[in-house]
Amino acid sequence: MDVLLTDEEEMLKNSAREFLEAECSPELAREMERDDLGYPPQLWKQMATLGWVGMALPERYGGQGLSLTYLGLVMEEVGRHIVPVPLHSTMTAALTINADGTDEQRQETLPKVCSGDMVLTWAFSEADPRYRAESVKMEARRDGDGYILNGTKMFVDNFNASEKCLVVCRSTHGSQGTDGISLFLVDTSSPGISHELLTTLAKDKQSQVVFENVRVPSSAMIGEEGSAWPIVEAMLDRGTALLCTQMTGAARKDAEMAIDYSKNRLAFGRPVASFQSIQHICADMIMWVDGGQLLTYEALWRMDQGLPASVEVSQAKAFCNEKCEAVVRSSQIIHGGIGFMMEFNLHLWFRRVTAWTLRLGTTFEHRARVARALLDQPGKMRLGRSMYQTASR
Amino acid sequence: MDFAFTPEQEQLRQEVRDFIAENVTDSVRAEVEDAMDEGHGEEYMKLRAKIAERGWIGISFPKEYGGQDGSRIDQYIVEEELARVGVNVGLSGSGGPAILAAGTEEQKQYFIPRLIRGEVTFALGFTEPQAGADLAGLQTRAVRDGDDYIINGQKMYTSSAHYATHIYMMARTDPDAPKHKGISIFLFPMDTPGVTVRPLWTIQNDPPAPMGTTYGMGRTNETFFEDVRVPASSMLGEENMGWYVGAMGLNLDRVGASRYLISVRRDEDIVNWVKENEFDGHSPSEDPEVRDRIAEMWIEAQVCRLMTLRSMSIVEHGGNFTYEGSAEKVWAPEHGVRTTEGISQILGPYAQLLNGSIGAVEDGVFAHNLMGSFQSGINHGSVQVMRDQVARRGLGMPRG
Repeated sequence: MDVLLTDEEEMLKNSAREFLEAECSPELAREMERDDLGYPPQLWKQMATLGWVGMALPERYGGQGLSLTYLGLVMEEVGRHIVPVPLHSTMTAALTINADGTDEQRQETLPKVCSGDMVLTWAFSEADPRYRAESVKMEARRDGDGYILNGTKMFVDNFNASEKCLVVCRSTHGSQGTDGISLFLVDTSSPGISHELLTTLAKDKQSQVVFENVRVPSSAMIGEEGSAWPIVEAMLDRGTALLCTQMTGAARKDAEMAIDYSKNRLAFGRPVASFQSIQHICADMIMWVDGGQLLTYEALWRMDQGLPASVEVSQAKAFCNEKCEAVVRSSQIIHGGIGFMMEFNLHLWFRRVTAWTLRLGTTFEHRARVARALLDQPGKMRLGRSMYQTASR
Repeated sequence: MDFAFTPEQEQLRQEVRDFIAENVTDSVRAEVEDAMDEGHGEEYMKLRAKIAERGWIGISFPKEYGGQDGSRIDQYIVEEELARVGVNVGLSGSGGPAILAAGTEEQKQYFIPRLIRGEVTFALGFTEPQAGADLAGLQTRAVRDGDDYIINGQKMYTSSAHYATHIYMMARTDPDAPKHKGISIFLFPMDTPGVTVRPLWTIQNDPPAPMGTTYGMGRTNETFFEDVRVPASSMLGEENMGWYVGAMGLNLDRVGASRYLISVRRDEDIVNWVKENEFDGHSPSEDPEVRDRIAEMWIEAQVCRLMTLRSMSIVEHGGNFTYEGSAEKVWAPEHGVRTTEGISQILGPYAQLLNGSIGAVEDGVFAHNLMGSFQSGINHGSVQVMRDQVARRGLGMPRG
């Protein structure tokens, strides 16, 4: 039992920090908000060359074969520096292809992902914003040796920049819940696909994607027809845990900016940092980030051990949703009016963290999942001991 | 990062559990629970001696003073298991660790083995009527007289003073120095002439809180010192440096298994209670708002757990926590309060029924917790003082 980073973990984190500090300024994040593609391909390529994109992908595809925890540490720094690269969407899809795809699917995508030559994404949400099987209505109808997809996906991250997209569909007509779910690896340039960017508060690149009689071959299916829900759930869990690392990374930086600002801002003839009302908010901010980070690390660590982690993932996301939001909101308040001004950089963090709290499960959804694990299975519960019999979304 | 205990540590945990099943009977537990009111009874002392024989007390202390040179995590495991049945074998930071850090060889030789064996227990003499959060403003005086000091003054909330063998107390030795720089720590027997202990009764005294209550103690004390003569050798650390020794010990008191469990046992209690009980055929565990609140509390409790393990990890690496101990001491007590208040809103009017009442739930333990839980946010540094420390030590924010 040692919840602190090892020397190697610390080194990785520091080298990611040094690189991103030098290569990614807030101005770059600002610039990419107005950019059509939304990310600088050169920086993406550099990060791939450093091995960060392939961090948790196997060596035989050009990756580093390291743990999710290592990837999480890099993503914490990506969050800290609000780096405008499609790492989260690419990893969420790539890790699923690696875990559950066919050899052919892996060969087709992972080497290019590792080298920085392929951006990926995934599409789950539709009209119903909840991340549960019932929300999936998009139809995949068998047709000869392939499938025809019809439906509309929402909130698809970096679809505009992605070569391929994992699409969650219902392949059994009239099926309910987790039954009848299939997952497809779809070329974003397939005929019948159209997309339109949403106008989001983070000014990131999320799209509404319409699938109109889109034909995909059988070879595009990941997992078995109609029984891909566990694969989808694992994809959402990995994506959620990795998103939490970005949230805590960004929220910590945001808190640090408030602390620094308070040390330099004078009121009533002294730095506002000397007022207890400000000190206590800052103390809370750091404790909130610490708590979210510890929960996130435990979730990632469990996944790396091959242990069930759905409850830990939900614990982390429910906590980060509320507390990271409280951090960035508090930071805005400490900064006063200037934080609300477009020319000041603080809002770049505020808007992103806020957007991330809304993605991959609300506080209520994740608490409901924790509650199911606690209350709907027999036996006494004890903190620090296994909570698993079942804990599905 | 490694969030698992080793197989050896899991085995140690199992050994402690087996020991508990065999030795911690209901009658021992009842005696343990009464200890804060009536002092440790015979059965408890026997049990404690058995635990010490196993080498489970002071595991991380040096062998030469009766410890095991063992891991702080091992010690955490033993303390956690025993604290769950109400047996606190954690050696307070004010005491053992402070003596190890600042004591003379003679003091170490005398006190550490006896603390481990349970032959010495300390009452803590910090707070005074006019010195609480501003502890350094304490007025109890110790005046040098030949080879001795003469102590005069009054201490408040000296909780185990009526049965402790010794007191670990702070007194002012230099009234002219700045307040933090004129304080010394003294260790001496409670039966030293001139020491008088008077009970203070708490809101938990009538009716007495049931077993397993958070801060269920019915009694604490005020202790008076009237021309108490102690040898100069009873001073811990250098003269006028007591504030710094004391702060180190207090910092350690704020972390660890027992304190963590005080704040999170309630979470397990309510989860397990709503699963097994119902009111007139209706289980609160079916209500969406109850489920949401319980999950929220549980997640917070996990943060308490992880913050505790973080402090343990830092100690295990040979480091000192700067703000992490204070952070834990904000987070856990405030969580404990949110949980007890959450539970009360789940039980509604039943949450007011005290021990012995018609209709009392689990002997009124939830009602007594509601009276006691805020207490852990007050003692050993209030949550407000702790936030000051997080901000100043952890974040480098300036004093006002």
